[in-house]
Amino acid sequence: MAATKRLQKELVDIRSSGLKSFRDIHVDETNILTWQGLIVPDNPPYNKGAFKIEINFPAEYPFKPPKINFKTKIYHPNIDEKGQVCLPIISAENWKPATRTDQVIQALVALVNEPEPEHPLRADLAEEYLKDKKKFTKNAEEFTKKHSEKRPAE
Amino acid sequence: MAQASGTTPGFHQLSITVECAHLRTNGFLKPNPYVEFTIDGKTPRRTETVKTTSQPKWNEDFTVLVTPNSKLLFSVFDHNSFRKDSVIGEKKLDLSQLLSHYNGRCENLELTLDLMCENKPTDSPPKTGELIVVLNGLNVELNNHNNRPSSSFMPLAQTNSDTLPNRSVLNGVRARMRLHGSENVVPPPSRTAMERSSVMASPQNSGTTISNGVPFVAATPLGPPATVPSSNSQTAIDENRPEEPLPPGWEMRYDMYGRRYYVDHNTRSTSWERPQPLPPGWEMRRDARGRIYYVDHNSRTTTWQRPNSERLQHFQQWQGQRQHIVQQGNQRFLYPSQQAAPPGPGTSTSAIQDEDDGLGPLPSGWERRVQPEGRVYFVNHKNRTTQWEDPRTQGQEVCGEMDDSTPLPPGWEIRFTEDNVPYFVDHNTKTTTFQDPRPGAPKGPKGVYGVPRAYERSFRWKIGQFRYLCHSNALPSHIKITVTRQTLFEDSFHTLMRLPAYELRRRLYIIFKGEEGLDYGGVSREWFFLLSHEVLNPMYCLFEYANKNNYSLQINPASYVNPDHLVYFKFIGRFIAMALYHGRFIYSGFTLPFYKRMLNKKLVMKDIESIDPEFYNSLVWIKDNDIDECGLELYFSVDFEVLGQVVHHELKKEGGEDRVTEENKEEYISMMTEWRMTRGIEQQTKAFLDGFNEVVPLEWLKYFDERELELLLCGMQEIDIDDWQRHTIYRHYTRSSKQVVWFWQFVCQADNEKRARLLQFVTGTCRVPVGGFAELMGSNGPQRFCIEKVGKDTWLPRSHTCFNRLDLPPYKSYDQLVEKLNYAIEETDGFGQE
Repeated sequence: MAATKRLQKELVDIRSSGLKSFRDIHVDETNILTWQGLIVPDNPPYNKGAFKIEINFPAEYPFKPPKINFKTKIYHPNIDEKGQVCLPIISAENWKPATRTDQVIQALVALVNEPEPEHPLRADLAEEYLKDKKKFTKNAEEFTKKHSEKRPAE
Repeated sequence: MAQASGTTPGFHQLSITVECAHLRTNGFLKPNPYVEFTIDGKTPRRTETVKTTSQPKWNEDFTVLVTPNSKLLFSVFDHNSFRKDSVIGEKKLDLSQLLSHYNGRCENLELTLDLMCENKPTDSPPKTGELIVVLNGLNVELNNHNNRPSSSFMPLAQTNSDTLPNRSVLNGVRARMRLHGSENVVPPPSRTAMERSSVMASPQNSGTTISNGVPFVAATPLGPPATVPSSNSQTAIDENRPEEPLPPGWEMRYDMYGRRYYVDHNTRSTSWERPQPLPPGWEMRRDARGRIYYVDHNSRTTTWQRPNSERLQHFQQWQGQRQHIVQQGNQRFLYPSQQAAPPGPGTSTSAIQDEDDGLGPLPSGWERRVQPEGRVYFVNHKNRTTQWEDPRTQGQEVCGEMDDSTPLPPGWEIRFTEDNVPYFVDHNTKTTTFQDPRPGAPKGPKGVYGVPRAYERSFRWKIGQFRYLCHSNALPSHIKITVTRQTLFEDSFHTLMRLPAYELRRRLYIIFKGEEGLDYGGVSREWFFLLSHEVLNPMYCLFEYANKNNYSLQINPASYVNPDHLVYFKFIGRFIAMALYHGRFIYSGFTLPFYKRMLNKKLVMKDIESIDPEFYNSLVWIKDNDIDECGLELYFSVDFEVLGQVVHHELKKEGGEDRVTEENKEEYISMMTEWRMTRGIEQQTKAFLDGFNEVVPLEWLKYFDERELELLLCGMQEIDIDDWQRHTIYRHYTRSSKQVVWFWQFVCQADNEKRARLLQFVTGTCRVPVGGFAELMGSNGPQRFCIEKVGKDTWLPRSHTCFNRLDLPPYKSYDQLVEKLNYAIEETDGFGQE
């Protein structure tokens, strides 16, 4: 496949860079177009758990951007119930073939840590976040405890 | 629909008429309401926007697919040009409750929905209005017939909303059978039976509906107004769907890439798509060659692709267009066809060419012949046409050839110098001149057609040339094409493919079976319009909409699911050529790159923008940046996906090992452009062009550029400038900026052809959506016509067809704006490259 060389290189780079906030990267040898990994946020209320994500690269990568999906439920204004996330760096308007997956992941981790209620995917959570931060934090913490994955050992 | 077993949530057709609403207004500002509804959270459908009223009337019909358990969400929005549209009120409707009450039938069922607005801060959401919709045509055999109407339903007479307003707030939905039409009055029972049976076509309706014809009120809260249509419950539905068991004989497996696929042991075939149970009335069959196809007994049609709900939805949408087709056709026009004066045999214009003219061999099937008087002409044996012009140079820069349509004054003759420059002999005065004597012949350089440039851009002149070729190759007598409306496509296919292609140039005599004796000029116009819509039927998988832009079509790379697709493309090629030849219009046009392909013009990078903006942007980025620095890891090989399969392509031999660098990237970009524009559709395009060429030589088109070809094929429309202006948005300009005022002045003063070209330049097509400029679509959904201030006054205007955007530099004067804009919209090649 045409995208294989690029993705293999990115995978080696990302594994060797030892990102703390993105771990347990799992890629099936037979299908380099799908990556799985664990987002490990630093900021409350998400620092009580970890979140599985899946990155899907299109056959036309890097002409077309990858898509990211949360496999673990998360209480977050920018991530909807289906696990879809709206990340500007991989939107149609902003995508550049030189954008690397580690940049995408860093942008994703930053978004998880610092929600952007101005561009919500879940308006109800964004409103709660803006109007009653305490309540939001409490709900998000409880939700994280209930649904998220175990954080890997340091 | 006897097959519909109660437990299988198969899909059923339901017609929904959104009639009107009564909205409570708070204050003096009236909303611009429109209705949007979704079924089970799928793609919403919406009505037109009605301007400033609290009593909007839409009366729009939608045909949708539902299951007996579908949840319908109706929302009334207030359209706002500057901010996000806001919700006036919403109501969720649970179809199963309605159906269980009405014994599985929705026939002319009027629903009054209490609109609720959840965003209001009060505890109990206030009612913001009422929406009236009518459901019709749904008839489901429910599993448990004995499902007795729950006690919560009671006759409308007791709970009329006017008399018991409290109750209606609690219930939220009131339903009643309408006995006919859209009248709200219940006619006396004695009359109904007769009227009903005359109104309703399907006989099985009458009995039962009349017997329980007493309108009912749904007293159970069909969606308790207090609960928000919570997103969690929606997810639950979505998550449940995949768990639906596979049909008998199917199995799920994983391929070597870990991707799911499905094995159908019944047919020993595999598929990437998860099979859904066939909708009621559908059946799978095998043809004599063992190939699987699907029969829809509801409409008595067949298709190669297994129907799924999405495809059926597309199909319904496509079907919904039918009612507008003929009306649309009557709005199209072009210049009255003027027949050019034929330079018949024996006229003074004769241009004798040497046998060895250095142009290389003629295209296959062509022959050069000489008349007794010595004049050369060309015969196309493939489709039995003749013409004066050399097909090798048609539409190219040839000084020596003179095919001007206007006759010379009496006594004049054209001759050619040794260098092949035309000059004019006046036998009356025995003088010669290089100056064309014909009145109005502009002085100046000759353009590509050997006529003065100022003529050449005249679309009328070109149409005249083309029509002349058609007339001079007309055949005597007529051909009969007899079709049945229900089987229009197949009937037409068989007739057109059975006849030798040149016969299709005879006068057409179209007969719709059972409607004989109508004026056949109008009938043939209708036939072209209907059939051209028919070929877009999504069930045939032949064409697809380019890039979500609703108006232009391109060949579907997945068309190969239809094993006979190439014959069909050939048929469509013949048919499109017939439309041009007989001067008829077709319903929907193709993408501009497709017309360029018909004209055998080279496709450039900019052409990708209109069909795949993402891909285009990436290519532009590669062109504009130093790629040696950023680890793109690109090689001269490439992939794409069609029907879930990855198709690999090497741009050159062993391209997979050949890295793209700053040095060779130009080559890469040009190869990628070529590949992107042809991938997966080469054979189909060739079949189409072959079919076309059999009826009309492709060389005949070369007078036109791609934009003119679209106009020729689709006709022009009167463009409503007020509507255009009203639905235009501005960036870094305002409505009153000088340049904007000048722009509209330019538009007002332009003729229809120029306006059409301007629209093509900015939106990629000359056609305006049926609903006017408000419904203009871009690559990411609705996208208004937009004028943006960009650049300096020395720049030319540019366009971004996927965003319907015109980049208009801040010109210093009206004249400058006119000059630049004219230049940009007349020029079709090249400059737009960014």
